[in-house]
Amino acid sequence: MKHSFIDEYSGLNSLIHRLDPRTKLVGSLAFILAVVLTPVNNWKVLAVYLGIVVVLVLLSRLPLRYLLKKSLVIIPFVIMITIFVPFFKQGQVVFSYNLGFWHIDVTYEGLSILLNVIIKSWLCIMCLVILSSSTKFAELLQGMYQLRVPLVFVQIMSFMYRYIFVLADQAMRMQMARDSRNFGNNRKIVFNTLGNMIGMLFIRSYERGERIYAAMLSRGYAGEIPITRTLQYKVPDACFTAALVVFLVFPAVIWW
Amino acid sequence: MHLPDGFISVPVAATTGVIAVTAIAVAVRVTNKKIGEKQVPMMGVLAAFIFAAQMLNFPVAGGTSGHFVGAALAAILLGPWTAVLIMSSVLVVQCVIFQDGGLLALGANITNMAIVSVFISYYIYKGIYLMFGKSRTGLLAGAGIGAWFSVVFAALACAFELVISGTSPWEIAIPAMGGIHMIIGVGEALITVAVLSLVMATRSDLLKLQVT
Repeated sequence: MKHSFIDEYSGLNSLIHRLDPRTKLVGSLAFILAVVLTPVNNWKVLAVYLGIVVVLVLLSRLPLRYLLKKSLVIIPFVIMITIFVPFFKQGQVVFSYNLGFWHIDVTYEGLSILLNVIIKSWLCIMCLVILSSSTKFAELLQGMYQLRVPLVFVQIMSFMYRYIFVLADQAMRMQMARDSRNFGNNRKIVFNTLGNMIGMLFIRSYERGERIYAAMLSRGYAGEIPITRTLQYKVPDACFTAALVVFLVFPAVIWW
Repeated sequence: MHLPDGFISVPVAATTGVIAVTAIAVAVRVTNKKIGEKQVPMMGVLAAFIFAAQMLNFPVAGGTSGHFVGAALAAILLGPWTAVLIMSSVLVVQCVIFQDGGLLALGANITNMAIVSVFISYYIYKGIYLMFGKSRTGLLAGAGIGAWFSVVFAALACAFELVISGTSPWEIAIPAMGGIHMIIGVGEALITVAVLSLVMATRSDLLKLQVT
């Protein structure tokens, strides 16, 4: 069945793709931290950070259209925050209007919070999109493990990653079958149907889990998956980290 | 609601991050002791199940649709600490693969949807189940009410984090988020009850899975 592929472009070969996943994980966290810490309305710093994103996009050779499309996931939150804006009471009024008996003041402070949140969250989301599109999930997990994330947790995620496709397919087949039978026409049965679907999905998943576990046991699984390779921190990683630190810290030092 | 980055302040992200790391560390220890690492494949498949179940959406009002969260269901079927691990791994995968929720905001999202909602629903469920003398009615009533509270409290925790961060004023964020999720919570409750009654009818042995 057709669904959006996980880490679709992670197989490309570019400078960013070849970096150690740990470099990318820690680098992303540092970038996001720097963006979020930037004081309100500090446009020069944010412009430099936008420049970093542009450079990363160019270096990674990822299709821009794809990246921009994926960054749209923040829209529902932006709408929510926009709804909140008229309710910031303090500050200088930019414009106001009347809705019948309801008087709304839009303040300068409210608008600047909105603008800052939109720009900052978009920069952060672009960084995450680049991270996930340039790194294979298995490598990301290996990086997490070497960054001291508990092994059980990493292994759960690696099994989850293997079966997401299978179970998502199963769920989508159920959904297609349901929709082709005029689902949603009768409100009373909506939740019951959905409950039965999810219940069936649970039982099937559970039984699948039992079979997988039995199959693994019969192949000698004893509670641990041997890790055959370790990641190596190389020269390009050190250079990348150094450059990133410079471009994150210097604008902040100069313009904060 | 998966909070993206940029919506919460660094102190809020740091505090919730510490809460999330501590809870996951405890959960890893508890589940290691109770079921052993041997059950890891099963937990992975069930995490994928929660992920797939969240893809099934249902029409709400006016063309919008809602989807199932599953924290209460996981807590009731598998016990709270296993549920914390499974829900957290779902959230991590959603963050790093689908950008559903931010990286710095991951701690906040785990706190809301894998800790607050799991424990609230589990203890409400447990209390009602015991009050009804471990009957079928008690199990289903407890599950439904627990599921409703899990959604409402996760939303309130999310609103609270937004308010502390100065992203939205409290007099609107808390009633708005709470109000909307009081409606969404009804869907979650009905689905959780329907799932559990199906599981009871077909594989009631799975309800004795609880490991803690």
